[in-house]
Amino acid sequence: MKSIYIGVDVGSVSTNVVAIDKDVNVLFKTYIRTNGQPIDSVKEGIKQLKESLGNVEVLGVGTTGSGRQLAGAILGADVIKNEITAHATATIHFVPNVRTIFEIGGQDSKIIIIKDQMVVDFAMNTVCAAGTGSFLDHQAERLKIPIEQFGDLALSAKNSVRIAGRCTVFAESDMIAKQQFGFSKAEIIRGLCDALVRNYLNNVGRGKNLEPPFVFQGGVAANKGIKAAFERELKSEIIVPEHFNVMGAIGSAILAKDYIEKTKAKTKFRGFDAADIEFTTSSFECKGCSNRCEVVKVSMEGKVIAMWGDRCGKWTNSL
Amino acid sequence: MKVSFPYMGSTIVYKKLFEFLEHEVIMPPKPTQRTMDLGVKYSPEFACIPLKMVMGTYLEAIEKGAKVLVTSGGHGPCRAGFYGDTHRNILKSLGYDDVELIIFDAPQDNWKAFWRNVQKIRNGVPWPKVINRMYTLYRFVQKLDELEKMVQKIRPYEINKGQTTQVWNEIQEKFDKIKTRKELYKVYEECKKMLLSIPTKEVDEKDKIRVGIVGEIYVVMESSINFGIEEILGNLGVEVERSLYLFEWINDNLVPWALRPKRFKEIIKKGQRYIKILIGGHAVETVGHIIDFKERGFDGIIHLMPFACLPELVTQSLIPKISKEVDIPILSLPIDEQTGKANMLTRIEAFVDLLRNRKKGRTKEVFVNEFQQHADEERVVVV
Ligand code: SF4
Repeated sequence: MKSIYIGVDVGSVSTNVVAIDKDVNVLFKTYIRTNGQPIDSVKEGIKQLKESLGNVEVLGVGTTGSGRQLAGAILGADVIKNEITAHATATIHFVPNVRTIFEIGGQDSKIIIIKDQMVVDFAMNTVCAAGTGSFLDHQAERLKIPIEQFGDLALSAKNSVRIAGRCTVFAESDMIAKQQFGFSKAEIIRGLCDALVRNYLNNVGRGKNLEPPFVFQGGVAANKGIKAAFERELKSEIIVPEHFNVMGAIGSAILAKDYIEKTKAKTKFRGFDAADIEFTTSSFECKGCSNRCEVVKVSMEGKVIAMWGDRCGKWTNSL
Repeated sequence: MKVSFPYMGSTIVYKKLFEFLEHEVIMPPKPTQRTMDLGVKYSPEFACIPLKMVMGTYLEAIEKGAKVLVTSGGHGPCRAGFYGDTHRNILKSLGYDDVELIIFDAPQDNWKAFWRNVQKIRNGVPWPKVINRMYTLYRFVQKLDELEKMVQKIRPYEINKGQTTQVWNEIQEKFDKIKTRKELYKVYEECKKMLLSIPTKEVDEKDKIRVGIVGEIYVVMESSINFGIEEILGNLGVEVERSLYLFEWINDNLVPWALRPKRFKEIIKKGQRYIKILIGGHAVETVGHIIDFKERGFDGIIHLMPFACLPELVTQSLIPKISKEVDIPILSLPIDEQTGKANMLTRIEAFVDLLRNRKKGRTKEVFVNEFQQHADEERVVVV
């Protein structure tokens, strides 16, 4: 029977579940759309894992991402960690000498600066869409090009046209203008890739010392056009790791592994039955004060196991 | 006079002030989402968050019956200097002609206006009484600040989650009832004992993490707008100190020059290494405190800035340079009505991880923290 550590990364767009062994070989990975149903997507991921690996012994579980508390509560996680630490942990494992991590997802993006295998600086961007994957999705739709072909098309362009990409709105009107000037779709797409990279580096990477080796991960790293744009901009090679789109989940699995190995603790994992347990989330409006917080409550078979959403801690601390 | 004031930090102090001057005090409610909604609705969109929150507070205080609102002005080139007038205009446009806004600008800017304001709020209380009571208030602030600093040093190590905060709330209630100087000293000693009897765990000096909080006064002092950052850090096992405490602010701004402690001048001098001229807000102080915290052995700095605050934006642009030269990690958190708590928590948590790793000088090893959050009794979280 295989012994595994499970890592789960619950974001607003996708839920990733991975299983690693004690040498951090990735035995299983899956990528599920969260679709606003984090509990279902976590359960689904765990079910798929069980089906794919058969009988396994789970030694530890880690969760990360914006849904880390929820996922941790329903699975019985040993470690619940923020995305930055999780991403960095995984990257350092696969690329030990990494200095800069670019992480671009559908809705948010980050830059993590590493020195001597330690996070020394980081920045996150969740407000401006001009430096994230949704920018590309949106423009691909406008140009009626499937996003999967985006990268290859960008690579086929001989020249780039400069798209004013400070902001998605401007980028869009500029793109339409450039189309009317007669630039080819490929050139425009390459221009968009350049614009995204410029934006990202200007917004998220502002004031940071970017040193190679560079590692590029997150959903957008699948796009060869963006990778090439990074390489042009930084005049350096960009490494895209094999498991680029599940690095957060791998990181949280590694963190769980390190924690269990170090403390010799027994895992709190609820077992694969967790996929069948009824978890219910409900929310109510607290009338304790004029904040009127929307408090979320997760219960397992009638017992409340987690609460959040209160600004004052009245409910979170009541458990 | 039915007097109220902006809600910021330990408001019992302002309440005491007006009680001592024998006014009827209308206590402004602690800012909530409703305060924010009101403030945002009636303020110019591009104003910074303190202006909006204070606007909301005024409207709530007026609802409760306040007729006079007292506030301090700003000085220097930052637009905080216009806050008072902006608020006054907005109130007027909303039809509150019977509400008076008294703005205390720095006395040296306009002695006459300052004096008129003083006479107005003195409320006919005889001068010897005023002086005596103001001295009591001065000590009151000092003692309260001392206790708060203790809270920030105890909370990270408490064994029973939430106990320190609870004691701190009790302390504030006790202080609220104080009437005389004698009572003050007695209550202070009691409160100190209460804090010292909180069970805490032994933590090795080299494992302690200290974070200094700097930035614009309102977001630094008012927990309802900064998501209770001191408590968040405390719960992550981190000791906190702010760049601003009321007592020091009074010393720096209201006490006559000759009697002021030297510390303020030193901080300004340190800040002027990076910002040579006064640009308003608390920019120079912010930088000065960053350097000062570093010199005092702190591990990291969190810089709070209201979104669109000009002086703090200048500071933020200097931060990569300062951080490098002074060698201390600095996290800038912009705050406005759009700021989400989950996002902020991720940043704070990751920052604390970074500080712990840096301190340990360890690589790739997880620091298993003794200060675990419990979402349910049996679950362990590594922070
Ligand atoms: S949860 Fe706390 S802050 Fe939110 S409405 Fe209730 S009492 Fe107020």
